[in-house]
Amino acid sequence: MIDLLIKYFPMILQGFLITVQMTLFGVLMGLVLGILLAIGDLYGGKTASTAIRFYVEFFRGSPLVVQLFIFYFSIPNMFNILIDRFLVGFIVFALNSAAYQKGYIKGAMESVYEDQMTAALSLGLSKTQAIRHVVLPQALRIVIPAWSNEFCSLAKSTAALLVIGVPELTSAGKTIASWTWRVLETYTLIALIYLLWISVMMKLLDILYNRVKIPGIEIVT
Amino acid sequence: MTDIVLECRKLWKVYGKIAAVKDVSLEVREGDIKLIFGPSGSGKSTLARCLAMLTMPTKGDVFLTGECLTKPGVDLNKARAKIGFVFQHIWLFHHRTALGNVELALRHVLKLSKEEARERAMRALREVKMEEWANHYPAQLSGGQQQRVGIARALAKDPKIIILDEPTSALDPELTGEVIDTLRDLAKKGTTMLTISHEMPFAREVATEMIFFDEGTIVERGTPEHFFEHPSSERAKKFLARLIKRTRRE
Repeated sequence: MIDLLIKYFPMILQGFLITVQMTLFGVLMGLVLGILLAIGDLYGGKTASTAIRFYVEFFRGSPLVVQLFIFYFSIPNMFNILIDRFLVGFIVFALNSAAYQKGYIKGAMESVYEDQMTAALSLGLSKTQAIRHVVLPQALRIVIPAWSNEFCSLAKSTAALLVIGVPELTSAGKTIASWTWRVLETYTLIALIYLLWISVMMKLLDILYNRVKIPGIEIVT
Repeated sequence: MTDIVLECRKLWKVYGKIAAVKDVSLEVREGDIKLIFGPSGSGKSTLARCLAMLTMPTKGDVFLTGECLTKPGVDLNKARAKIGFVFQHIWLFHHRTALGNVELALRHVLKLSKEEARERAMRALREVKMEEWANHYPAQLSGGQQQRVGIARALAKDPKIIILDEPTSALDPELTGEVIDTLRDLAKKGTTMLTISHEMPFAREVATEMIFFDEGTIVERGTPEHFFEHPSSERAKKFLARLIKRTRRE
């Protein structure tokens, strides 16, 4: 197995880096969009809230592979253009992750919302200031465990990129397996790389969670 | 022309078919300490929130230093910045230290510089004798300490008036004393206050006027002497008798 890693190192490394990039971009863009969607849903009025619900239902209610196909084949076909497969990957993962993260963030915001918001308004802060300085800082702390779940799930979902020919880690494994016929070893190696990477990231998020935890508040799990 | 700080005229707040506040008119002058008391569920808190524009009155007007807050187009954030509000359940910001709680409005509402905000926040904490605890988070403080920070937070922005909604009723009996002491200090300094409270010794000592509130409206008003010696309404008499009995037991 080690010899496989050494021999195909450049290919595996390239695949791994693509997987990492896709995951990080997806999860971070998803966070930014998720925050905006959560705020829009909570404070944007009925129309915004309905539109956001449709968006979320679409991305949560259809398979990721189908979403990739739609963005890679259907939409470009409709407008007679070509979209780069990497770009499609970035877009789909950001939009998909945003749909999930919006739910987590909205829930966390609602849990700190009412009394903290009233207290902030009583000081003369505007609603926007109150969200920025009071509601979000608390909600984002609460959301970290759910967020690390999303990270974990998204990291593995990037394997779906193989269907539109992005040479990420799983796709690199598939190529190596077909070249060498050492299927079991190859996929075990690939699985181990995912496992190691995800474990490290989970640990880092755990450290982050404990570091930003509000002193004096224990959350019993 | 007047020294009226806060005033409401014919104020109503209706939820569905239930009127929580019915046709209340009230004025607070500079240096006044008005104390509202009455049974729970009588609409005292709703009235306090309407006066602070944290709840929109259904009908009637609220004036802050002569400016009408209930007409359309008023910048409510600006108006709220001039009113200090202390909540029954304190509601400090959990993620900020005592100092951070007090500083927030100074930085983002009054737009003071970092140094200025810090200095003023520390001064406010000193006034409530909490400066030693400036860097503690709310969850690391006792209820009484938290409420003193709550008072400092309302006070720091130098409001025209401070409205307190039962500031001690969510605290353990042995912790109410320190909060009452803080309020007594403020009273001595001439702070204009409107407070909902059932701390009768405190009322007798500092209130310039007591207001008995029941079923959404003012039933009787007068000086502490009036209420403790010869309240005129039957309801106030009964309520006071019960309160005094309870205070003695404690």
